[in-house]
Amino acid sequence: MAKQLLIDAYRGKRTASPPWVPYAGVHCAFLINEPADKMLKDPKLLAKGVVNAAKRYKADGIPLVFDLSVEANSVGCELKWWGDNVPSVTTHPCSNKTPADAGLKLPTKESGRWPVLYEAAKIAKPQLDDLDCVLMGLFCGPLTLASHLAGVRIFTDLYKNPDFAHEVIKFAGEVGAIAAGFYAEMGSEIIAIVDPVASQIKSETFQEFVTPNSQPAIKVIHDAGKTSSFFICGDCTKVMEDVCKIGTHGFAIDEQLNMNFVRDLARKHEVGFGGNLKLTLALSLGLLSPREDAIVSLAAGGHIGYTFAPG
Amino acid sequence: MADKINIDVLTLDSVQCAACGYMMESIAALPSDVQDMIEYTEWSIKNKDGIGKFLELQGRVLPTICIERDLVFESIIPQYEELIDEMAARAPNDAMRERIKSLRDHGFEFDKIQENLQRAGAGLATRTDSKVK
Repeated sequence: MAKQLLIDAYRGKRTASPPWVPYAGVHCAFLINEPADKMLKDPKLLAKGVVNAAKRYKADGIPLVFDLSVEANSVGCELKWWGDNVPSVTTHPCSNKTPADAGLKLPTKESGRWPVLYEAAKIAKPQLDDLDCVLMGLFCGPLTLASHLAGVRIFTDLYKNPDFAHEVIKFAGEVGAIAAGFYAEMGSEIIAIVDPVASQIKSETFQEFVTPNSQPAIKVIHDAGKTSSFFICGDCTKVMEDVCKIGTHGFAIDEQLNMNFVRDLARKHEVGFGGNLKLTLALSLGLLSPREDAIVSLAAGGHIGYTFAPG
Repeated sequence: MADKINIDVLTLDSVQCAACGYMMESIAALPSDVQDMIEYTEWSIKNKDGIGKFLELQGRVLPTICIERDLVFESIIPQYEELIDEMAARAPNDAMRERIKSLRDHGFEFDKIQENLQRAGAGLATRTDSKVK
């Protein structure tokens, strides 16, 4: 377990061996025999779950939560809770009005579930420090948060109603910057923007909406002296150059991308990259050997800026 | 089903994966008139039925919206009008095609999304031993 190794890799530097990050998320609850919803609502259980997973998997870093509903909930979206999954967002306050017209306010430390996360981080952070494991802060990126706020119409508005889309995504970017500040305050050494739906749009749309509205959060992370990353999911081939140029120290991708392609792009742009042990095909379903899959990822990733992680 | 347009959404898991979730919502938020004309199902590849459907439809990426077994939206969350046009192009008869086209300017409806997602089994079959149907 080695914090500095992970920070170096996230910043695109050469490391003696690749560091390892399990995005344990609600799997932390499974490992301590608790339902996901119960763990996520209880700071003591959340801290227990995260520290336990970090120890069990000998992690160099671990997210406090991997839950993209936190920011949406903190500005008024309602949630549906699941015993074996993260909560899902069920209401969209901007489905027919702008954030200003809907009366949405930027979150404070008292909004939504932030008090639970602050308390959990306070308990987990010293224990993770003792393990030399980074407490990672992951928050919802601007386009995914805009989707939570306005619903699926946002993907039509990007093209048909760009003024509205800009207003919603700008607000989402401001919320993200506040979330980044919260994680910096909690002591997270690595803070990542997680924008999975940003893989579902065209490159020029990414540049118009995602890139500018990620800047406020990136500034907050860098001004705090922390390390930044941009996590994206799915087949994001069409926006990968844009991800490399967004301004974070690095990025992480999932199992749908080819590691050689990703490695070459990351090296070209001198940024860190993480992935991509196959979450479904190997870890969940066992259709591929997780051991051999890991060897493929490690061989492709190499020793420059690479973090071994599930994809 | 000859009197309905069949839509299969291939996902990782529409609860865990936001892109998958909004692919599902793009169908669940279609107007109620369109809901009457479509039959749709989430196929999460976290279970064997979903893997079977992914292979059967020759899926390539997740998430994907298949309309009448065609891979139509692969890793692109569709705009409303694009969905309407692709469904109209695959309608089983002229009357349904015209009825769908007439709703092209209607836009998404958000009041019955949760009910519609439940009907499509969204988020309900995410274990390896889950059965979709």
